[in-house]
Amino acid sequence: MNVSGAQGWKKLAMGFASHAGFLAVLLATWEWAARMGLLDPTFFGNPAGIISFLWANFVLGIQLWIELGWSVMSTLIAFISGSLAAVLTGLIFVIFPRLERFLDPYFSALNALPRIALAPLFILWFGLGIGSKIAMGFTLTFFIVLSSTVAGMRGINQDHIVLTDTLGASPRQKFFLVTLPGAIPVIFSGLRLGLIYALLGVIAGEILAAEHGLGQQLAYLASTFNMNGVMALLVVLAWLGMAATSGMTRLEHHLLRWQ
Amino acid sequence: MRPMDLPLTANVVAQQAAIEIKDLTLSFTAGTPTIDRVSLTVPHGQFLSIVGPSGCGKTTMLNLLAGLIHVPHSGTVRIQGREPRLGDHGIAYMLARDSLLPWRTTLENAAYGMEVRGVAAEQRRERARDLLVRVGLGGFEKSYPKQLSHGMRQRCALARTFALDSPILLMDEPFGALDAQTKLQLEELLVDLWQEERRTVVFITHDLGEAIAISDRVVVMGARPGRIVTDVEIPIKRPRSVRELQKDHVYHELYAHIWEMLEQGYKK
Repeated sequence: MNVSGAQGWKKLAMGFASHAGFLAVLLATWEWAARMGLLDPTFFGNPAGIISFLWANFVLGIQLWIELGWSVMSTLIAFISGSLAAVLTGLIFVIFPRLERFLDPYFSALNALPRIALAPLFILWFGLGIGSKIAMGFTLTFFIVLSSTVAGMRGINQDHIVLTDTLGASPRQKFFLVTLPGAIPVIFSGLRLGLIYALLGVIAGEILAAEHGLGQQLAYLASTFNMNGVMALLVVLAWLGMAATSGMTRLEHHLLRWQ
Repeated sequence: MRPMDLPLTANVVAQQAAIEIKDLTLSFTAGTPTIDRVSLTVPHGQFLSIVGPSGCGKTTMLNLLAGLIHVPHSGTVRIQGREPRLGDHGIAYMLARDSLLPWRTTLENAAYGMEVRGVAAEQRRERARDLLVRVGLGGFEKSYPKQLSHGMRQRCALARTFALDSPILLMDEPFGALDAQTKLQLEELLVDLWQEERRTVVFITHDLGEAIAISDRVVVMGARPGRIVTDVEIPIKRPRSVRELQKDHVYHELYAHIWEMLEQGYKK
């Protein structure tokens, strides 16, 4: 979207001011209710406490930055390895449709399984470190990206294939010049979702059992009734998810500017 | 391209036709053949149009020449003395829809055929740029297909086709989806491009007027079974202008004449 001219800037400033006003009213009401004893800070925390927690742990100290780093690293490894494996598997499925038909019931069953149920197994197999978190994120990302890869490659415009065949393209040329670029828009919608789900898998794994990560911190703070800390971490996680989504959107706009 | 081959090729070329179809009979299902005993010889450098109603087998014949379909048939089909083969570099094929790759710019699309066929990057860019100017798309090199009108997209597809050095062009109703005005402009452009370097063209259309205006020879086919109803040389001199022809009485007389034969053919 292009915001241009004084009119556009005015609109943007108005939007910003109205959101800032809304948040200020909301936080002030919350703080007031907490101080009046209408909202128990033991269960809900209070804005001043949340802000001072963020200040202490993200500005004065660096401990939470390190935990954030663990979570981000696990998410990225899970996302990249899950996506690569999914695109390769999708490619094999498109080349050998009979293999896909044969494996379909097994993949459907795995995909239908509530993935969190695998967590105890992954913790036993891969330990308390990031290995089990990566495995959780991987299984979620893999199936999402796999289905979009297969759909994208199946949906290639047949005219492009006919033209490329008459030009005498090799299978390799056909893949890199037509099939892959043609499937990218659909693969990308899978990747965008896959990244969010990788984060979900990693945080869920950390909450269950971990040595590091925002999920582990969250579980610890909740169990010690540090509600301001819990609320602060939820804000950080929401911000992290939004940063991931907007990063993907930017990448998509850049790569798919022809759309 | 291949200087060693040239004398030999020239020798062979003088003897054989560009395309030779003998007694071709072909059916997709049991019963009425799609194509029934069709024989057609296209000499080098001829612009031939095949006109006919849908179901007459004209597109099937073109796809057979391009090697796109493999159905059992009797009779022989030869392109430059060889069996039709998919991906033959001697053939440039143009589809009814522009089939531009939406993620490529106009310049990259015009160069696409050459890229697949291994023309060096610098050379193909230069040739694509030159052709884009000739089809009237100079200045649009960096545009993406979605930014172009239908007519412009088909111009780009023409550039991609003519950028190949194939001596035979197979065209499957390339202007069928365009509005009348744009169609006339594109026909004019095709005739201009072809008159500069006369290659063998087989042009499929259901528009008799279009066929007469641009071709050296028009073959009319009838449907069920698909067979040749009439085969007429078009005596209008070259170079011609499609637009000027609309006012030419010879053109209109030819049109009426072939139309009459066509109707007689259908009655039989």
